[in-house]
Amino acid sequence: MDRRTLLKGLAGAGSLAATGGLSMPALSQGASARTLRFVPQANLANFDPIWGTQYVVRNAAALVWDTLYGLDGQLQPQRQMVESEEVSDDGLVWTFKLRPGLKFHDGEPVRSKDVVASLTRWSARDPMGLMLKAIQNELTAVDDKTFKWSLKQPYPKMLLALAKNNSPCAFIMPERIAQTDPFKQITEYVGSGPMKFAKAEWVPGAKAVFEKFADYVPRQEKASWLAGGKQMLVDRIEWVVIPDPATAAAALQNGEVDWWESPISDLVPVLKSNRNIAVDIADPLGNVGSFRMNHLYPPFNNVKARRALLMAMSQEDYMRALVGDDNSLWKPLPSFFTPDTPLYTEEGGEIMKGKRDLAAAKKLLAESGYAGEPVTCVVAQDQPITKAQGDVTADLLKQLGMNVDFVATDWGTTGTRRAQKTPPGQGGWNMFHTWHAGADCLNPAAYPAIRATGDKAWFGWPTSAPVEKEVAAWFEAKSLDEEKAAVKRLNKAAFDDVIYAPTGFFLGYTAWRKNVSGIAKGPLPFFWGVSKTA
Amino acid sequence: MLSYILRRILSTVPVMAIVALFVFSLLYIAPGDPAVVIAGDQASPADVERIRESLGLDRPFLVQFGTWVWHILHGDLGTSIFTSLPVTALIGQRIEPTLSLMVITLLLTISIAVPLGVVAAWKAGTWIDRAIMTFAVFGFSLPVFVVGYVLAYVFALQFEWLPVQGYTPLSEGVWPWLQNLILPSIALGCVYIALIARITRASMLEVLQQDYIRTARAKGLGQRGILFVHALKNAAVPIVTVIGIGIALLIGGAVVTESVFAIPGLGRLTIDAILRRDYPVIQGIVLLFSFLYVLVNLMVDVVYTLVDPRIRY
Amino acid sequence: MSLSTTRTAPVPPGLVIAPPLGDLLLPVKVRRGFVGFLRNHPTVAIGGALLLLLILVAIFAPYLGTVDPTAIAPAKRTRAPSALYWFGTDLLGRDIYSRVLYGSRVSLTVGLSVATLSMFAGLAIGLVAGCVRWADGILMRFMDGLMSIPPILLAIALMALTRGSVGNVILAITVAEIPRVSRLVRGVVLSLREQPYVDAAVTSGTRMPMIILRHILPNTVAPMLVQATYICASAMIVESILSFIGAGTPPTIPSWGNIMAEGRALWQVKPYIVFFPAAFLSVTVLAVNLLGDGLRDALDPRMAKSL
Repeated sequence: MDRRTLLKGLAGAGSLAATGGLSMPALSQGASARTLRFVPQANLANFDPIWGTQYVVRNAAALVWDTLYGLDGQLQPQRQMVESEEVSDDGLVWTFKLRPGLKFHDGEPVRSKDVVASLTRWSARDPMGLMLKAIQNELTAVDDKTFKWSLKQPYPKMLLALAKNNSPCAFIMPERIAQTDPFKQITEYVGSGPMKFAKAEWVPGAKAVFEKFADYVPRQEKASWLAGGKQMLVDRIEWVVIPDPATAAAALQNGEVDWWESPISDLVPVLKSNRNIAVDIADPLGNVGSFRMNHLYPPFNNVKARRALLMAMSQEDYMRALVGDDNSLWKPLPSFFTPDTPLYTEEGGEIMKGKRDLAAAKKLLAESGYAGEPVTCVVAQDQPITKAQGDVTADLLKQLGMNVDFVATDWGTTGTRRAQKTPPGQGGWNMFHTWHAGADCLNPAAYPAIRATGDKAWFGWPTSAPVEKEVAAWFEAKSLDEEKAAVKRLNKAAFDDVIYAPTGFFLGYTAWRKNVSGIAKGPLPFFWGVSKTA
Repeated sequence: MLSYILRRILSTVPVMAIVALFVFSLLYIAPGDPAVVIAGDQASPADVERIRESLGLDRPFLVQFGTWVWHILHGDLGTSIFTSLPVTALIGQRIEPTLSLMVITLLLTISIAVPLGVVAAWKAGTWIDRAIMTFAVFGFSLPVFVVGYVLAYVFALQFEWLPVQGYTPLSEGVWPWLQNLILPSIALGCVYIALIARITRASMLEVLQQDYIRTARAKGLGQRGILFVHALKNAAVPIVTVIGIGIALLIGGAVVTESVFAIPGLGRLTIDAILRRDYPVIQGIVLLFSFLYVLVNLMVDVVYTLVDPRIRY
Repeated sequence: MSLSTTRTAPVPPGLVIAPPLGDLLLPVKVRRGFVGFLRNHPTVAIGGALLLLLILVAIFAPYLGTVDPTAIAPAKRTRAPSALYWFGTDLLGRDIYSRVLYGSRVSLTVGLSVATLSMFAGLAIGLVAGCVRWADGILMRFMDGLMSIPPILLAIALMALTRGSVGNVILAITVAEIPRVSRLVRGVVLSLREQPYVDAAVTSGTRMPMIILRHILPNTVAPMLVQATYICASAMIVESILSFIGAGTPPTIPSWGNIMAEGRALWQVKPYIVFFPAAFLSVTVLAVNLLGDGLRDALDPRMAKSL
């Protein structure tokens, strides 16, 4: 027995005596083998997966709510709540049938009207959902187990829309909850997923607790990401928010927590050297770092200035700043899509490859008419990814001889500022940094950052007719080959017009104590199949 | 005395009003619209406007301020924009850890610092005095988080005597509760110990030179009797003042300590709220802190009368 | 000169003859001048010397073997201290030695600016509060209100208002310190107001500004000077805490606070990133505190009670 346990035991005995036996022993529920203590990547401050699109909300929501379809490890949509689906010959009417045994945490069975209400709320906020809503005839419940979605045009990507794991996912909620305005938060957290949310124990920003839902009936198939049978092997999951990475590392080493979602790469060697801890790549789909330029105002309204930056930037610098010395954690990315996925292409990405030519970049910059205007670069300091990228960018701009106006701020302010379309000198911006999960860069479907519809596009407001043409071509593609061809042309067009600048592809680790098993790689932490020995 | 207390309580109202106006204005002017953060990346400007309207953010300043004050007077501190929970509930969840941390820190520091200061004064000019004062100055000079990290590393990781992080509520037992608070209290208390020790020493020095001390010594009273019965009571006024001032310091330091030791208290709540522009929460907490501070000042003044009967209001 | 004790008469029993005074009174070494002052008060000497040394380091940083503190080299990140990188490199490959030396500029600027600005503002407010009776109540309530707002919150809010900058950090900490200075000055003014010589000056028709200038101001100098050193020390620590939570100096300008903040996650594996700026900060703050202590003891031992 180690010293801590001994002291704890003595202390427990002592306090037991002192308080007349009213206090619980120091070894509380947390340490039992049926409770999993998890350190998430961020605070769980709110818990409405349609209203709040942060990754951490989606990750928690996947425990509490179930989806009609789920994406599996091969990125294919598989049935989850649905037993069968049928599409009419003209592709306009989709009919779905729910599988038996689905129940909500309050005991009510899942009915079609719940699905209809949930999909209505979801499609008000989700890009693919909005596309469906635009071409929708009606979405109705035929009977308690069957519902129908009839459209004015065919939509081949329907199952993908319902299965995708990019926020907001099409989670199914009880009708009364799903009728909440999509721009207001829900206040009840009842779903049909494998775990119940213990609202009474929730301390937003500090702790969230999930308890096993005894009446959940998993599918028969083996679990693969969000598809298949979600078997829960623990009774209770506690999400413990530890904002300081050094403290989280210490807690994992001490056994105070069991699983740390995103250890920072610099601390991984310490964790790896601990014989009680296992470390592995969290998500093979990784992340794509990026910075975006404002296409509305000089200097980046001129494509030559944008290409000059692509010419001069070193993805190695960016990636090393992000993930450190471990070369297995990053790859150069002459592409806007995720490596090692079916649609990955490097077409048009030559400008990112090869030795960096600073002189040529400076020349190109001069040709674009840059005359020394300040470049307002907004960098959020409280996000390690944006902070590291921002520092590298500041150096890059300096080397190019540009006049840098470095605005150090926080993620919340960045969120506001990047939405301003005013000139940089009047509260606007020229550059900001962000990143995307690799799972969000698989194809143009849920990838707003690649769109180039000008004013309606994502922040930066790029305009590029060729890019939009290829996006439309992808949506209409009827085979994988057609999709690949469209994406190739899309990639080239995106580099030609520099929709944004990818800074590289990077992976993250996840770490857990060796008495925990069943942790699978994936775009979000999957808790089914995870078990723990004492 | 009672009338004094009543007058003081009444005079807190304008103070609180000033604080409220100040905080509210600051947040009103600050950029960073919570509606944008809520709306998320895919929202259109129309969506953002809808959210602003539903949160009441589009009404004029005075109307918003007036509404807020009206609600406070009814005990309603508003609802958090991000969690949709009432601010009072959020504060209620987080107040126990912060209060526990502050109380333990206070007890720890007073019980260490006052005797240290007394000893330093008693042995003024000797190496003991210099040593204690040097330690005290060191306590001032180190940032809280550095001390916190070192303590966590040495006592939690290496020796494994105490947990690294977290908070156990008092309801789960006295010792588990204390366990989680010992290291943070020491880290937080360093500065405080230094401050109190210095003031105690200075004040005691002043008092020890007085005639009545010489008389007591001449009368044959033992050292301990003199020190603690006569001298300390008379030296207490500045010490109590500093303790009062120090509570404000504690609030500031608690923010960092709670971050380092992952204690789910008000300090972290504040930082998170500020970074997310969760106005109602920020306003509620600042009001609460100010009220606490004002209350502490009042208690300090009352303690003065207990300690020094010459002080009458 | 000793008293002769040659007596022929018998000494009555129990009578003690006092020893010659000459043996009791040893000549006291009187030290004059500035050097004498320093030798009398070693803490002022030590504190002052250290502070001076640091100021020199800050001014002459470019000539002390430093390189560009903002030059990144991600390929060489987190290297341990070596002959090439005396203090090692940080998370972006920047030389920590250079950053720490340049960082002294920020910390000293923040400390000295906050001290000076809060002194002037606090003096003005305290004088007005002390001399103008009807303004006293209002001003002091306002100061109470200001004191109630935790400075950290103020600083973050100010940073969010525009952007992180050294100016905002100075402003935020100054605003938080002004109430205390004004209370101090007010206290001095109030106690002096009752003094007979001030009374006399008033009765003999001296105008208020003259009274302030000749009687009150000189008496505030000593406690204010001492308080200024404490404020300077505290401001440097607060700046580091603000940078720690991300509301302080922007990262393009190295400061001890943000060097520590950037290295905080790695202190277990690469402690030198936090250690060196922490050491420099501690030594500087120590020096300033010693200076303050020494000045307080030197200028007026009675001040010790109120500070």
